[in-house]
Amino acid sequence: MMALSIDKLSLCINGQVLFAPLSLCVEPGSITSIIGASGVGKSSLLDFLCGILPPEITAAGSARIGNEDIGNLPPQARGLGRLFQEPLLFPHLDVAGNLLFGLRRGNSRRERRERVAAALASVGLEGFEQRDPMTLSGGQQARVALLRVLLAEPRALLLDEPFHSLDDDNRRLVRDLVFAKAKQRDLPTLLVTHDQEDVAAACGAVIQLQAHV
Amino acid sequence: MMSKTIIARPAVLLLFCVSALPALAGLTAAFWVGLDPAAMSRVVATPGIGLSIASSFWTGSVATVLALLLAHLAVALAVSGNWQRRLNALILPLLAMPHLAIGIGLALVLAPSGVLLRLLSPWATGFELPPDWLIVNDPAGLSLLAGLVLKETCFLVMALGAALGQVPAARLQTLSATMGYGPLKSWLATVAPALQQQIRLPLAAVFVFGISNVEMAIPLGPDLPPTFSVLLWRWFTDPDPAIHAQAYAGTLLLFVGGIAAILAANFIGGLARKLLRASAESGARRNTEWPVRRLIAAVLASGFILGLLSIVAIGLRAFSRQWRFPALLPDHSSSDIWTDVAALSASVATTTLALAAATALLGVALVLPAAERCKQSADARRQIGAWLFLPLLLPQMTFLFGVQVLLIRMRIDGTFIAVLWSHLIFALPYLWGLLAPARAAIDPRFDQVAATLGVSPAKRWLTVTAPLLARSTLLALALAVSVSVALYLPTLFAGAGRIATAASEAAAAAGSGNLRLAAAHAILLAVIPLCIFAIAYATGSLLFRHRRGVPR
Repeated sequence: MMALSIDKLSLCINGQVLFAPLSLCVEPGSITSIIGASGVGKSSLLDFLCGILPPEITAAGSARIGNEDIGNLPPQARGLGRLFQEPLLFPHLDVAGNLLFGLRRGNSRRERRERVAAALASVGLEGFEQRDPMTLSGGQQARVALLRVLLAEPRALLLDEPFHSLDDDNRRLVRDLVFAKAKQRDLPTLLVTHDQEDVAAACGAVIQLQAHV
Repeated sequence: MMSKTIIARPAVLLLFCVSALPALAGLTAAFWVGLDPAAMSRVVATPGIGLSIASSFWTGSVATVLALLLAHLAVALAVSGNWQRRLNALILPLLAMPHLAIGIGLALVLAPSGVLLRLLSPWATGFELPPDWLIVNDPAGLSLLAGLVLKETCFLVMALGAALGQVPAARLQTLSATMGYGPLKSWLATVAPALQQQIRLPLAAVFVFGISNVEMAIPLGPDLPPTFSVLLWRWFTDPDPAIHAQAYAGTLLLFVGGIAAILAANFIGGLARKLLRASAESGARRNTEWPVRRLIAAVLASGFILGLLSIVAIGLRAFSRQWRFPALLPDHSSSDIWTDVAALSASVATTTLALAAATALLGVALVLPAAERCKQSADARRQIGAWLFLPLLLPQMTFLFGVQVLLIRMRIDGTFIAVLWSHLIFALPYLWGLLAPARAAIDPRFDQVAATLGVSPAKRWLTVTAPLLARSTLLALALAVSVSVALYLPTLFAGAGRIATAASEAAAAAGSGNLRLAAAHAILLAVIPLCIFAIAYATGSLLFRHRRGVPR
């Protein structure tokens, strides 16, 4: 795996600069936390990395994975896995369908099914293939969302307060699971959060995003 | 993101080119050809013309006021009693039923030999023969009024229901409940004025349709003289071409009437809001609303039953020859009559269905890309919606006659394509009203999730957006089919009388006073929309029936 780096990034909304130019580098297998007041542009930072900034926000600066500049790639070619604040499982697909959607092409149908089953088993959700995502608990949905991202074989992981909506017990469990998987795959991980416990558990660099004045 | 904007912009332009542009061009052409002082003076000199125009305005305006009142009461009763979904289901059959079908059916119910008097005879009335009453085609236009009120109430209930999403109804309701108002009164005093503001365009369309329609005025309207629109229709369909110039000039008068109707609708809407507000400021409360609720429910229910009866009457009349007076059911319904009707309507049914299917598929194909473009901007959706609504605010005959002039210039009048185009003009506003908000309601993050999972835009649309839109699209297809099936004047003008659909045949038969033949064609008018909506709902609920999160 290669490092994820950002160089002199600043975001502008309607001509107003959001935060001071930001440079950072996340090494493979490490988790960098980004904290800051709401509205300072934490989620927009992740939107920039994913290539889905809304048209009213403009960006200056660059982002790279290893030596590749990803700033001009279309969103689907960037290879960044992102967990949103909610699990956002596709409501029209069952659990297996959601995971097969994430899984890269290739292999036979049966092998793909087996990989999905193994992935579910690895997070304690054996036999959940046919379930309607809406019937799962918040913690279960979060785990399926994580698997969906991982099966797409991302080059880096972007976490946008993904534990925020979970209750205390589930939050710890899901957080430990996400961090363990990220480290196991040696992924550079960027975590946006409000929660000091998240920051402590990440055991990595912490960047305080400050409003530009 | 940028490339999508560029691709989608032509989609919006295309929508205008199919709908608002030909409507405006048609209007211009109508003025070009119709401004003929000699013909205009012949129109004005027509005996009984004043009475014709007066009866158009009388029926149109009273129907609009009554329909608005009943629609507000129906929605207030249903929402405050927690059965709004049931109300929507109840009005659907009447809403889907073409004006022409309801008109023919109502004529069969209300006539002296109609179903209503048969229900009461001879045990209650003592009639052994139909009485010599002028109920249908009465000079005061009361039966026409009844038909218009029946249909337009359903239309306005739908419009109010669609506007409901833009008003914080539940909070307003709770607030006024804490001040001691009953649910009905709090609805009328707090929610209804806001809703009234949202349905200005539909209300204007109702008024314009009321004064300019022929679909209901042919079977139900007064006869000597007829309403102004029916008079024009007779001139247009007159075999003597010398009369046609009068018709052309007359459509301009109709256009002026349309403008007056829009202004009048605006006034009525303002008055309604003022009255609703005055009732709010009066501070009057009732301890119990039950008696009032019962009364309103009884009025609405009797109208509803009248509507259902007229659908049944079409079926009874179509499949019978002999139907002696006091007998409730026809003498015998033999199989040769079935084959009679089938032979009569086979080719007409094919044309009607082909037109409806083409209108629905093409309409959805035109609307979806434009809706994609406007998913983030409520303003853009509203503006496009208003433009697409324009043809519904013009008297149909005025701009359709102009469209016909243009079609003749383009040498495509009387072709399937021309009729299809004219049907699209009327289907697009409904398709937009249903599909644009449905597209906008899909959480944009689903698309973003799919993008970060490495899926290309086209495949994202097919695998994520399209399935989430499937149910709305099914309903939209059914809606477009029912709009197309109901259209009469567009078929007549763009088809140059050469394309025969169920509506055109039924109107011609009703115009010549042959109600049995009219009923035989009206069967198709009634059955196709009912079946298509049943299929759309059934398929929609089967699709994703184990997926709770898929939008309804």
